[in-house]
Amino acid sequence: MTQLDISVRNDHHRLVLSVSGPINSYTFTDFQEKVYKAIAQSDAAVDMERVTALSSAGIGVIMTAMEDAETTGHGFVIVNPSEIVRLALDSTGFGDRFPIVKTLKQA
Amino acid sequence: MTGRRAEAAVVLEAIPSSILSFEDFIGSLAFLSPRERSRLKVAGGEILDNIVKHATPVDSGRIRARASRRGDSILLGFYFRSPSFAAFAAGLVGGAESASAEPLFDPARRRWRGIGLLMCRNLASRVVFRPGESMDRIFLEFEGGK
Repeated sequence: MTQLDISVRNDHHRLVLSVSGPINSYTFTDFQEKVYKAIAQSDAAVDMERVTALSSAGIGVIMTAMEDAETTGHGFVIVNPSEIVRLALDSTGFGDRFPIVKTLKQA
Repeated sequence: MTGRRAEAAVVLEAIPSSILSFEDFIGSLAFLSPRERSRLKVAGGEILDNIVKHATPVDSGRIRARASRRGDSILLGFYFRSPSFAAFAAGLVGGAESASAEPLFDPARRRWRGIGLLMCRNLASRVVFRPGESMDRIFLEFEGGK
């Protein structure tokens, strides 16, 4: 069974989280912890190219991170989401509200 | 794809980590396109998560998931038995009048609620809950090719 893997690196002024594997009800707490920690410290970009599933729990983390970013004044973007991530975000009915960029350079 | 028929099933333990086995099962279904697999994985994962959370204890501790294709119609069914799921399911499949149409933020847990319900409604053409004396069933119907 595939597990979630998240690596964090510094990229100039921001933290980049590279996520691979499924973000679901079983794995999302690790995603939640790392995303909230990153957005509290600096601008954050979450690379979701290799995410294989995204549940409502994971989307809730993204929505809360967007609010935290507004509160702290930090930037928050989703980078190059996989097809299933786009599908999951769009399936909420408000997919256009998520800050999506194709590459880190666009962030 | 008219006339194409195929099906597959898996038995899952009624525990949170079964979502991983479910995702692997859907990912293995060669009779679905990648996009169809993604829709079943996302919507079905939400249903399974709710069964595990709200139907506990599930009799026998097992949930059976079955995916089938009949032409352009795709059906994903969950089969289990729980005395406690009916009340929750009334809100899940009962339409906009029985549940909040918008997600709500739970500030105490810093969690959004109601997103999964929206996702299922938008991904599946129909969500049906059929309680029974010996077996409860939840069906998600999808239009193939989308």
